[in-house]
Amino acid sequence: MRSKWAILWLLVVLAVGAHQVWFWFSARLDTDVLALLPEDEQAPEVGAATRKLADGASRELVLLVGAKDWEAAQRAADVAREELSRDPSLLKPSALDASSLDVALELYRPYRDRLLTPAQRAWLTRATAEELGGTALMKLYQPAGPRLTDWEADPLGLWPDWWAARAAESTARPRDGRLWLSGEGREWVLLAFHSQVSAFALGADGRITGVVERARAAVTAAVPGSRMVVAGVPLYAEAAASQASNEMSTIGIGSMAAVLLLVWLTFRSVRPILLVGVSLVIGCAVAISVTALVFDRVHLLTLVFGSSLVGVAEDYGFHYFAARQGKPPSERGALMRGLLPGMVMALLTSVVAYLALGIAPFPGLRQMALFSATGLVGAFLTVACWFPHLDTGALPVTPFAQRFATSLARWPRFTSTRAWWTGTAVLALFILGGLWRLKTRDDVRQLQGAPAHLIADQRELGRLLGLPSPAQFFLVRGQDAEQVLEREAKLKERLDVFVADRMLPGYRAVSDWLPSAEQQRADARLSARAEAQAVAAVAEATGEAPTRARFADGVLTPEQLLASPASAAIRQQWLGAMGDQHFSIVMLRGLDAPSLLPHLAEAARGLEGVRWVDKTQEISGLLERYRELMGGLIVLGYVAVLLLLVTRFRRQAWRAWLPTVVGTLFTLAVFGWVGEPLQLFSVLGLMLLLGMGVDYGIFMLEHPGEGSAWLAVALAGVSTLLSFGLLGLSATPALRSFGLTMLLGEVAIWLLTPCCRLPAGKDVS
Amino acid sequence: MKRVLLLVTLLAGMTASAQDVVTQVRARLADVPLLRGDFEQKKTVSGFKKPLVSRGVFLLAREQGVLWDTKTPFASTLTLTRKSLSAQQASGAAAYHLDASKEPGLAAVNEVMFALLSGDVAALSKRFRVQGALEGAEGWKLTLTPTDAGLVRVFRVIHLEGDKYVRQVRLEEARGDVSVILFDKLAQAPSPSETEAQRLAK
Repeated sequence: MRSKWAILWLLVVLAVGAHQVWFWFSARLDTDVLALLPEDEQAPEVGAATRKLADGASRELVLLVGAKDWEAAQRAADVAREELSRDPSLLKPSALDASSLDVALELYRPYRDRLLTPAQRAWLTRATAEELGGTALMKLYQPAGPRLTDWEADPLGLWPDWWAARAAESTARPRDGRLWLSGEGREWVLLAFHSQVSAFALGADGRITGVVERARAAVTAAVPGSRMVVAGVPLYAEAAASQASNEMSTIGIGSMAAVLLLVWLTFRSVRPILLVGVSLVIGCAVAISVTALVFDRVHLLTLVFGSSLVGVAEDYGFHYFAARQGKPPSERGALMRGLLPGMVMALLTSVVAYLALGIAPFPGLRQMALFSATGLVGAFLTVACWFPHLDTGALPVTPFAQRFATSLARWPRFTSTRAWWTGTAVLALFILGGLWRLKTRDDVRQLQGAPAHLIADQRELGRLLGLPSPAQFFLVRGQDAEQVLEREAKLKERLDVFVADRMLPGYRAVSDWLPSAEQQRADARLSARAEAQAVAAVAEATGEAPTRARFADGVLTPEQLLASPASAAIRQQWLGAMGDQHFSIVMLRGLDAPSLLPHLAEAARGLEGVRWVDKTQEISGLLERYRELMGGLIVLGYVAVLLLLVTRFRRQAWRAWLPTVVGTLFTLAVFGWVGEPLQLFSVLGLMLLLGMGVDYGIFMLEHPGEGSAWLAVALAGVSTLLSFGLLGLSATPALRSFGLTMLLGEVAIWLLTPCCRLPAGKDVS
Repeated sequence: MKRVLLLVTLLAGMTASAQDVVTQVRARLADVPLLRGDFEQKKTVSGFKKPLVSRGVFLLAREQGVLWDTKTPFASTLTLTRKSLSAQQASGAAAYHLDASKEPGLAAVNEVMFALLSGDVAALSKRFRVQGALEGAEGWKLTLTPTDAGLVRVFRVIHLEGDKYVRQVRLEEARGDVSVILFDKLAQAPSPSETEAQRLAK
């Protein structure tokens, strides 16, 4: 009977193994962090917009090299450029040169007459024939000036102004063949590089960071008093990768070593270590296969986080070996049968707690929930079906295990005495006070643990360059491209008020580079009339017969613009057709003051097809919503687990349940007293405490008075503490908060559970 | 290999002699903080058969700016400072104003105009490749080819001729228009009148 189950499970494991080979060869791993965040069901286009903006920036590295004067800044920029270009397989200078301007000039030249700035439009509408003629004459007789085309093609000299308005979208200006800007007491050269390696393929070795730091050192050495400010996704990606690998190696290897040492001390045998390892590996393999079959792809973070959740499965193995110690091998089958009710109960409560994670419509959490639950079941089945067959040798009781097992008898037990009730009252006061002081925080920044110097550089660069913000923008929707451009124009009229009031440095919209067809035709008519008057006036004054140049018959279309390299500046803002609608993004430059955001949100109100998107606020709001949702689920979870426990333990069920409830409340109270805010990731930790903490109570109730159950609980508690609690050392706020929750909760539950054990000689059954 | 060496030597020799010319021309030019005089400008513009001729007076105050007042064929004033460019027709029919602080491209053109009128060869050699020759006891000729990407868009080449002062400027624009400006009655006095000072202060 037993071996039938073992063979059945072997067949499943073989199938999973085959699937694993296919899975790792086809590399169906997902690394995009955005894939973990929920899509806005009402507006999938917002997600598409964010992804497009993120993709556009994912390989760019922007540098400002500054010095006291222009000469020194240029020297410093040369040093930086040379250092950064040293390895062409890593970084390549982005094209910011004059040739791209020439390409743009040629594209726009036939449509010059229909490209007007709002100021020119107003002037041409208002100006008298004398004024137009006079201006044309003055510009004609002027010694020399910026002309971009022949006189006949631009008699009023309007075109340079239009280009100046386009150039005003960046604070950087061409100067001596470079891009220059001045600010914060320095003259700066703007440099841009393109990473040749995908941001998500960057390893932990920080190659780009290394090159940048060498360049920074070279620049400050070559030009005293100079400064280099760098920002770009590749640097963040490298910092995150190296931080993750550092933490994995210190926390991961540290806890692994400690657990192995503990198991060795307890059993003095390699077999438990090997078998528990086998159960964990099979658990993870099952989890990966099931997750891949359900979700098609497995996210890297699911793998990292979920694998540590499956680590809880080592409890089953410990439980078996703790009970097995000192017993003859012939009793293995009976032993396992005796353990099964408790183990199944523990498994059920954990699976319920994990699956509750997946109730929230958070793709990342759903994956992790499924992964952890199936992984746990896989590891459990391995223990239940295989351990009695594979564990054949003798397993004597070790002195360490002996000493530990007998310690249970000396552990205090709750009794109705004055001292215990006083202690309970003090604890209750501590918990109430802490909960009273508990604060919450749902800040998107908790998701990233970027080094402070990177954030500071990013801020400074943004300030100096007036860069558009990728987190806040307007999404414009229309039936077709023409309607999108028309709606953009209406939005810009409102934004111009902010720009005029100097509250906002500016914006960047596709329609600035590509007016709607209707606007182009209107502008063409306006400039044709005004320029005809100007040419006539010049003809009269000079006695010659100059003619106005002919322009293209049609209008400049989105297809034409997008096909040209000239559209590089705005390409990522043009989303084009998605479904039966067209979309574009209007970005805001130099958005510094958070107080402006509500006003901008207000600006979109009443404009059809215009939607204000504040990604930062959206994610924070999302975190808050899920924190509240998960909080509610935890309460429900406790009720469900209690009902489950009552079905088996009847009136003694509280002994397994209460320690976890008190441990959870105690953790929250400590958070309240020390001022650590409650956030989504600490709530997730509480959810896992529910799953694990109750297990200890179940084991203790199932096997009352047995030192081996106590030993298994102790081993499980310490190993969980080591694997999760050490996350409290992480530099990423979310992981640290999660780790702290596990650390405090585990310790409290572990200390409280034996206090609630059954009195000696009593049994639940 | 020998040919390469020869080429390098030749190039080195040429730069050395160009440097010499710049130094010598600077020695011949008077260092003028203020210069005023008459000008005659002949501008050949595509679309016009005859050159467009204009005459007037100019004032260069090295620290403040340039006033370029056309008298014929119509009266207009042009004020060029480091901060802005503004033009006005005497009839009041037209006027415009550009702010150089917003447009460094304009600032660069202003700087070049200052340097051309005052013969500031040192400033010019930052943005142009300067070649030239001395003529007679006092004269000189310079050919300026822009090296700055922004200026390449405006000028193809500039020829300068003069002695103690710049006497003639020939601007060949990138798009084919050519202006020849002749200066006459050059003097270092009188200092700016009140109205002139006001215009320069803008």
